[in-house]
Amino acid sequence: MLGIDLGSRNVKIVQMQDGVATNHALYDTIWFYRNYGARLRSDAEWDLSDLGFTEDQVIATGYGKIMVQMKLARQIPEIQAHVLGAVFQTGLKDFTLLDIGGQDTKVVKVRQGRPADFMTNDRCAASSGRYLENMAVVLGMSLEELSSYSQSPVELNATCAIFGESEIIARIVEGHSMEELAAGVNLSLYRRCASMLGQMASDIIVVSGGGALNDALLEIIMRETGREVIRLHEPQLNGAIGCCTEKLIGNLELR
Amino acid sequence: MRTVGFTTSIPVEIILAAGLIPVDLNNIFIGSERAHSLVALAEQAGYPRNTCGWIKGLYAVALEEEPDAIVAVMQGDCSNTLALMETLQLKGKNIIPFAFPFDRDRRQLERAILKLAEGFGVDMGQVNLVWDELKGLRGRLKELDRMTWQENVVNGLENHYFLVSSSDFNRDPRRFDEELTSFIEAARLRQPFRDEVRLAYIGVPPIYTDLYPYLESLGARVVYNEVQRQFSMPNPGEDIFQQYLDYTYPYGAFARLPDIEQQLGQRRVDGIIHYTQTFCFRQIEDIVFRNRLHLPFLTLEGDQPGQLDARSRLRLEAFVNMLK
Repeated sequence: MLGIDLGSRNVKIVQMQDGVATNHALYDTIWFYRNYGARLRSDAEWDLSDLGFTEDQVIATGYGKIMVQMKLARQIPEIQAHVLGAVFQTGLKDFTLLDIGGQDTKVVKVRQGRPADFMTNDRCAASSGRYLENMAVVLGMSLEELSSYSQSPVELNATCAIFGESEIIARIVEGHSMEELAAGVNLSLYRRCASMLGQMASDIIVVSGGGALNDALLEIIMRETGREVIRLHEPQLNGAIGCCTEKLIGNLELR
Repeated sequence: MRTVGFTTSIPVEIILAAGLIPVDLNNIFIGSERAHSLVALAEQAGYPRNTCGWIKGLYAVALEEEPDAIVAVMQGDCSNTLALMETLQLKGKNIIPFAFPFDRDRRQLERAILKLAEGFGVDMGQVNLVWDELKGLRGRLKELDRMTWQENVVNGLENHYFLVSSSDFNRDPRRFDEELTSFIEAARLRQPFRDEVRLAYIGVPPIYTDLYPYLESLGARVVYNEVQRQFSMPNPGEDIFQQYLDYTYPYGAFARLPDIEQQLGQRRVDGIIHYTQTFCFRQIEDIVFRNRLHLPFLTLEGDQPGQLDARSRLRLEAFVNMLK
């Protein structure tokens, strides 16, 4: 089984055999489309052997899934793929999935291993990974460094990723430390998900997507919600893993 | 003959009684192939980007269509209408204000309707005659709606089209009735749809042009179009005043709720799509509907006219999938 998650920032591919990942990779979306777009769109037998993947049944998800026209390929909705991946990776059946992707955020209430309700952020990149990337650039630090600050956050109010940049520059001028500003960025990302997390609430919050790599954000979610917060083992590959596990979930013992 | 434009459903019987042609400006806007450039036209005139797409479309349509008068619903629809009318007044348009009383007070509504009739030079005798004549047509609209959810032979787009068009009967009630009658006859011969998912659509009509076909491609059919159905005045009541009192749309979320709850109950619906327009106050009312309606609920937002964007498609697909 080959799962392809065509996201806005990265394309993720996971190959699985009997419930075990045999190969996986993460590519820049633009690079991937430039080099492999035509191949995915073609009606011919697919071939990704130069990337190290062997012929298999393909299941695609993500914004770009409609471009996968290969024979043997099937498409599944993104929310479904992410829930399948999270259930497979955690073995849990009741939880709230928070997926912070490159350009959007999804919050899914999962019950009995199935999506029961979901919300997505409003039409702005302010609650997505792209916001974190831009803010890291403005603050002159790496994403990793930005992700390490959660204490004494500066209040940031802008509801838009672009206005957020001008606001943070104003705050720099006011003399706040880089650590406090970085913590402010992480807190503001949480604030934009908070209402959705409240409406889709469960005792356990499972975090996936690139945003799950942000330690400070996870700490803030734990601090602010008082819930148990679990980071998936492979947060960025979760959608692609979900594509491969549709048939396996039924056999799992969930807790 | 002269035309009278309007910004949302009004007692159209008055316009017809006066021998004038009713024109729902919304239907012209959304039916236009140039809908997108109509919005741009209003923005060029100075309409802010963060204003409802419908208001901008109405502004451009009102200028291009040149109706002889425009009835503007100042209460019971959208508060932006006030500024829309002011900017049209600036262009020399003849504006006639109309207001649905917020408290649904019958005497106030009577006064508003009488005043509107007087403005068009007709008396209530003439208006009631038209009201009576339209009963058959309104009954057939009700039948089409019933065939949608009970016999399952009318799809969501067809239901939407006929009900939403009933605000002005596509300018010509007689021709509209013929179109409707022959549609109903043909639909009766159809095999019922076998839907995987049955949906309710609540809120103002969508600015998207491909919502219904897209949902049907996912295996979901809309069997209830809330506001469009209200436009068809499904409860004629004992007189025209009662008809426009029973009409729920102008009187707020709590006036709409009992009607929605009743319809959801009988139409065996799996989930609700609440459509709201970007920058509209009805996005706040979403809280009320979410709180009161206990079925799977998706809030869909639309801004510019045209096809569904990738994000909305994703959300609809996930929603329908969840209901299967």
